[in-house]
Amino acid sequence: MSKKIEVDFDICEANGVCMGIIPEVFELDDEDYLHVLTHEVTPENETPIREAVRQCPRQAIAVAE
Amino acid sequence: MTKPELVFDPFSDEYFNYPYDIYLRMQDEAPVYYNEAHDFYALTRHADVAAALKDHETYSSSRGCDLATVQADDGPQAQVIIFMDPPDHRVIRSLVNKAFTPRAIQAQRDTVEKLIDHYLGLVDPDNFDVVQDFSGPFPVEVITRMAGVPEDYRQRVREWIDISLAREPGNMGFTEAGMQASIESGTYYYQLAQERRANPQDDMISRLITAEILGEDGQVRTLDDVEVAGFTALLGGAGAETVTKLLGNAIVTFAKNPDQWQKLLDDRSKVPAAVEEMLRFDGPVHYNVRFTLKEAHLHGTTIPAGKPVFLMKAAANRDPRAFTDAHLFDIDRDRTEAQNLGFGYGIHSCLGAALARLETTIALERLLDFMPRFEVQWDRLARVQMQNVAGYHRVPVQVLPR
Repeated sequence: MSKKIEVDFDICEANGVCMGIIPEVFELDDEDYLHVLTHEVTPENETPIREAVRQCPRQAIAVAE
Repeated sequence: MTKPELVFDPFSDEYFNYPYDIYLRMQDEAPVYYNEAHDFYALTRHADVAAALKDHETYSSSRGCDLATVQADDGPQAQVIIFMDPPDHRVIRSLVNKAFTPRAIQAQRDTVEKLIDHYLGLVDPDNFDVVQDFSGPFPVEVITRMAGVPEDYRQRVREWIDISLAREPGNMGFTEAGMQASIESGTYYYQLAQERRANPQDDMISRLITAEILGEDGQVRTLDDVEVAGFTALLGGAGAETVTKLLGNAIVTFAKNPDQWQKLLDDRSKVPAAVEEMLRFDGPVHYNVRFTLKEAHLHGTTIPAGKPVFLMKAAANRDPRAFTDAHLFDIDRDRTEAQNLGFGYGIHSCLGAALARLETTIALERLLDFMPRFEVQWDRLARVQMQNVAGYHRVPVQVLPR
């Protein structure tokens, strides 16, 4: 089963920590909306995505197994 | 030789003067510390504090976040955001959080720069108290201006906060003066809310008055004047004395670590990293108290339901299990080792983090210009004795010739 990124947009406050860690996956636009560019967690991007999950000050990001 | 008994008394002189040795002993000897005299628990290891901050279903804020309030028979007397759990917390936080994102807060840059330049312009380099003359006066101006407090009352707000947070050793509740200040401040904000309801302005208090929220009964409602007043007062407090202390602590820390100050003089691009390291090494907020809604199990111990638990962020931020050379102040350290809990973590993490970073960054940049070389007058240094925050009341410095 594939692993997917889940963001709780009610909790996200556009701190942009995730974008700082892996901008290929998380993008904050000019109006503070967070866009998840790819939801798939792959062996290539898993380490930085997990770091983004851990470092998110709001704990708004999760990886669904 | 046997060690003295491990006692963490958050209202003792010993603790106010140097909390970090006590934290190390708690982490090693009692990761689930229990204080029998006052019937509370405390967590100090990074992994435990971070996990507890995330777990609001076990560690609730609904009974308050200081010991006296959590232990009060009748619970918190005010319905404010820091005393809420989801779903209420989410509803109330959403009323203001868009004004505090890193992008939105850039709109405050001009204000912050002007205020900092104003207060530094008044300073006598031979007799400069970093806290009294600078880091005390300017942050309160920024946040109360955003909130909508008229100019004449902004410094008054700071006095109210200072007096109401003060604690006498051995006494966990308000001092008499603190109670009085708290009543005055509450009355002032209530009157301000009424005034703004009649004459709305372009400020946060006016927006809170008109905001609509979904009530518990599913009906849309607005906040009443008590709720508006409480929220505005809280913003003023949280956004003022925290940066005040962070900057005072920073100057003391840099004085003890001149090599780190030199790094900033040589490379200003390191200032933001220095702010992060200050938040880790000696941030202003040492702890918040939570209340267990159910049993918590860790390190072979059970914390029963219904107990106050101190979540010691300042201890966690110096946990050797989480950070290499945790007790060294190093602005170049690897920040990915563990989460910096200086702004908390999870749903109650600091709303004003981006504003605090902006203010502290600009302030440090200006201080590097103003006093590239300085000495702290150690014999005149004075600490505050307060509930949950630590720092200095006075940090007198002598600006030295370049």
